[in-house]
Amino acid sequence: MRLHADRLYAVVIRFGAPGGEAEEIVQETFVRAWRAIGRFKGESQFFTWLYRIAINEAKRHMTRRAAQLERVASDDMALESIGDRAPSPQLRAEHQDLRAALERAVRALPMDYRIPLVLRDIEGLSTAQAAAVMQLREPAFKSRLHRARLAVREAMEDYLDVEDQA
Amino acid sequence: MNGGPIKRRIFMRQHRWTHARLSDYLDGELSHRDEERVEQHTRICPECSRLLATLRGTLRELMGLHDEPLPSVADGVIERLRRSW
Repeated sequence: MRLHADRLYAVVIRFGAPGGEAEEIVQETFVRAWRAIGRFKGESQFFTWLYRIAINEAKRHMTRRAAQLERVASDDMALESIGDRAPSPQLRAEHQDLRAALERAVRALPMDYRIPLVLRDIEGLSTAQAAAVMQLREPAFKSRLHRARLAVREAMEDYLDVEDQA
Repeated sequence: MNGGPIKRRIFMRQHRWTHARLSDYLDGELSHRDEERVEQHTRICPECSRLLATLRGTLRELMGLHDEPLPSVADGVIERLRRSW
């Protein structure tokens, strides 16, 4: 549970929820999961089911606070607070611009595109797992993921050294 | 792209096909045959070659976010759940 709580927090914060609210969403996710545990049939993996509940909970919160979250999405404070927790000041200095730009690019994506990218590329779920969390067929999931990646890539182009990538 | 209109049309068809499959290529989700098709096109198309390289770099940076340190909320969440149940 400890591991799931921290991973869910990382996911929810990248969905755009500020720290305090993300923690609230994680807590509410466990409450809902606990209440619904009888309905969990084991047809999907437990964490897939948990992520799905977290996504729904995050969407509920965001719908309630849509206007505020729009402001938060373009607010550098949340991004800086993530950067501030980096372990090495030297490393932080080197990657601060790039990481901050990356976080901004992710948060700028519409929710339907942000979720696939966070689950697949940041959380490292497989395509099948992430599509299952979103209850999408794989081709639809892949299409959203590809468009999300293209959008983030475009935002990051100035930061990426093509010579390094080949 | 040099060549006549037919060559150009074939090239553009390959271009669109490749462009739409670069993510699948990077995820290793293409058949061997389709992988080769992507590689063949990216060798002769500077735009797709650059797109592939920068997409690869973007994915590498995104994966790095997974290890970005965030505070642990587990203890607080567990404690509050204990109190509420």
